[in-house]
Amino acid sequence: MGITRRDLLKLAGVGALGAIAFNGCRIPDRELRVESPVALPEDQVTGRDNWYATLCVQCGAGCGVLARVVEGRARKIEGNPDHPLNEGKTCARGQAAVQALYHPDRLLSPLLHGQAVDWETAMAELAGQIQQNRGRVLLATNPLRGHNALVAQTFIQSIGGTLLAYEPLEDTVLRTAVKGLFGQDTLPDYDIARARTVFSFGAGWLETWGSPVRWGRAYGAFRQGRPGQRGLFFHAEPRFSLTAANADLWLPVRPGMEGVLALAVAYVLVERGMAHPPAAAQLTGGQGLGALTAYQPERVAAAVGIPAERIREVAEVFGSQRPSLALVGGSALAHTNGLFNARAVLSLNALVDNIGREGGIRFNPPPPAGWTGVPPAPFARWRQALEEMRAGRVGLLIVRGANLIYGLPVDRGEVEEALTQVPFRVVIGPIADDMAPYGDLVLPELEALEAWGTDWPEPGPGYQTVTFQQPVVRPFRDGKAFGDILLEAGKAAGLTLPWQSMREAVQDGARRLFALRRGAVRAADEEGFFMGVLQRGGWWDPQATGQGRFTGERLPATPPAPQFAGDAQEFPFHLVPFTPLGIHDGRGAHLPWLQGLPDGTTTVAWQTWVEVNPDTARRLGLLEGEWVEVISPRGSLRALVYVHPAIPPEVVAIPVGFGHQGMGRWANGRGANVFSILAPLTDQETGAFAWAATRVRLRRTGQRQRIPKFEGVVRPVQLEERPIILVTKEA
Amino acid sequence: MVVDMDRCTGCQACVVACQAENNIPINTETIFLQRRVIEWIWVERYWEGEYPHVRARYIPLLCQQCDNAPCEPVCPVYATYHNDQGLNVQVYNRCVGTRYCANNCPYHARFFNFWQPVWPETLRHHLNPDVTVRWRGIMEKCTFCIQRIRRVQREAARDGRTLQDGDITPACAQACPTDALVFGDILDPQSRVAQLAKNKRAYKVIEDLGTGPNVIYLKKVDPYAPAADHDHKH
Repeated sequence: MGITRRDLLKLAGVGALGAIAFNGCRIPDRELRVESPVALPEDQVTGRDNWYATLCVQCGAGCGVLARVVEGRARKIEGNPDHPLNEGKTCARGQAAVQALYHPDRLLSPLLHGQAVDWETAMAELAGQIQQNRGRVLLATNPLRGHNALVAQTFIQSIGGTLLAYEPLEDTVLRTAVKGLFGQDTLPDYDIARARTVFSFGAGWLETWGSPVRWGRAYGAFRQGRPGQRGLFFHAEPRFSLTAANADLWLPVRPGMEGVLALAVAYVLVERGMAHPPAAAQLTGGQGLGALTAYQPERVAAAVGIPAERIREVAEVFGSQRPSLALVGGSALAHTNGLFNARAVLSLNALVDNIGREGGIRFNPPPPAGWTGVPPAPFARWRQALEEMRAGRVGLLIVRGANLIYGLPVDRGEVEEALTQVPFRVVIGPIADDMAPYGDLVLPELEALEAWGTDWPEPGPGYQTVTFQQPVVRPFRDGKAFGDILLEAGKAAGLTLPWQSMREAVQDGARRLFALRRGAVRAADEEGFFMGVLQRGGWWDPQATGQGRFTGERLPATPPAPQFAGDAQEFPFHLVPFTPLGIHDGRGAHLPWLQGLPDGTTTVAWQTWVEVNPDTARRLGLLEGEWVEVISPRGSLRALVYVHPAIPPEVVAIPVGFGHQGMGRWANGRGANVFSILAPLTDQETGAFAWAATRVRLRRTGQRQRIPKFEGVVRPVQLEERPIILVTKEA
Repeated sequence: MVVDMDRCTGCQACVVACQAENNIPINTETIFLQRRVIEWIWVERYWEGEYPHVRARYIPLLCQQCDNAPCEPVCPVYATYHNDQGLNVQVYNRCVGTRYCANNCPYHARFFNFWQPVWPETLRHHLNPDVTVRWRGIMEKCTFCIQRIRRVQREAARDGRTLQDGDITPACAQACPTDALVFGDILDPQSRVAQLAKNKRAYKVIEDLGTGPNVIYLKKVDPYAPAADHDHKH
């Protein structure tokens, strides 16, 4: 470790200069004894640790975590056991927050036209630009919630401009469907733990979809938390994902046909008299089975790729083993008929009468007053924003966490052209990502573990929850928090903003919660309350639940057929992109723990692979580790073949998140970017990016290498004559 | 420890939590290509069957802390031994790197440092000060997070408390979202692990070798298992 006991005492005496004065940092004298030279590992004990509750920002779920701080350094992330969302648990991505904090390639100082400058110069420049460009500012961010959202909105309102959030795999379709069917602006919670049957369509709820740690908690209880009652799980997805691998039955539905499959299930429910009558009447316009004729399992089996008897089998279970729950997400929504798929699947919930009930869909209330969110804008809106930039209507572009050049399915040149029409561009981030080269001004942002903030998780746990984010260590690099940059520059530009700093904004938020006089933190005064929410990690009120009802209308008599980019003759394969467990949609690509995390089904790490069915591979003469060119109507990329025993013959799958230009040593130039070959199709109704609607062909390159994967690192111990994984049919 | 395979999803939260807690060297691409990846707890995935009736089976594996551990008698320098609580302890400053123990471990749970572990200077800040960083030529494996065990025991002794079930949690079990991993004192009949060990799904991995593993697995439940799968009786 290079730290001797004497050093340790010195350090401990000084204490860590965290945002909060440490106490009890000295090792009590009774614990100091002479180290023996034959010390065993079990004898090793060093300094005291401090734990701080804060927020995890490694994905959009918004879990509460505890950071272990020793000697002024954040060492380890654990789940916050008090937090209602994740109840003390974390995922692999959450653990990696400490690697983001201490990443060796973090920006060291602001850059103005590529030259290092001090913060004073940088902020003066930014303030000047804000003053000059009132009314012509575009603030492009990642989806925001809590005080980051509030500060960004306040800033944009006072200056006159546009705030748009960007996420490569946006959730616009799901939000639109939830709003249309339940009249809700916030995403609902799913009571998986108490359901008896879960049927999910494309939603990778055990991987990266929604609130994976929360769903993971629920999954354990769903399977083995109720003596004598084990939940059954069916999963329909064109790709065999980790979630599919955990299902009791996996239905390899054809891409874009998820909605038709769901309505074939609905047909069986109505036919067998299992459907909740009012909902059935609503969805069929009072016509009953006649309105669903087009979805009879025998009629649609070939089109959806699932045998009719299998559809009937799962529908019977889904209708009889209640409470049952239908989920939709992932590639099921990323088609030109995405909204139809979403509505069809979510309507199943009404047919099994689980709306607002135990084991069903539970509605989340809107967050407390003062908490807002900026959900991602649909791709169609971003195309419009590019137009505005190209037309010179944007004078100042401020980018934070919106990697447009990387993720938008339009040619790089087109985005570049739009960006260069903007007179001044600011890029804010902890590390120089793909957007940094386009920044006239690049500002180093603090990492989450160094900054103040709040969040309300979405989907939440079914009641009002606010998570507080506090700095757990002194800033490791000379950066500023995103909110502080806006507030300080805005103030210098003469804007009147209600807060001086993010800390003040967060404290103001705590004051609002204190005034409610309810919830999980009580205190005699505001100061005590603020300390209380920081210590607990947040505030929640299990009494403040959400309300909602099913307002679905008649289903279309004939389903809208999904459209695909690329002719089926010329491009024989459906390309299904997916978010890998570790690097997610690319936001974790700079962290070695996540790059080095073996994929959930292929165990590949560090490189972009393409999953090919064994028969397809034989037909094309492809072997594992072969470099192939994956060619779409829009472009091509190179990937390593992984012969995947469980992918349908007409589908190939490639992980997203690789192929960055920038983002530090572990991400830069590593692998290939799938977004660069996806066609810019959109969902017909919402304008959301249909990222699973591109067809491709494969071309051999003749080059081959060993594939970096975990499989085979440990010699196989699962032998025919001596299995290590034992299976029983009885729960 | 008890591992419920019907709860495990293969999400590998345990794997990264362990790497964070125990200063495990970064597994770079080169390390993967050399097949020298170090994961004290790892998730093994085995394929079964042919498309479309394919199954992927996941099992989290780690050192089984055997009562009768094959790794121990072969160590010429007594670097791996049994402590009074039944743990297999690896003493890094005794190990000379013969790798006999790894050869003899039927679970392949021992990992050898073929290279000097390297962290960029800044990443060293998150290393756990309670855990030794192992040198090149040293064997390492899961320790059941002995530093956490000792810390809790010491604090309990200092405060005059008796240990309760659930006080001690290794990093993997603490992270595991589904509670597939449960840690406790098997000798305490009231503990969660002792209760779970009575489950009719309980078994130990390749225990017919007589290793006496201290990790108990609960069988995966698969009501739709293809006909080829049948209950394996012991």
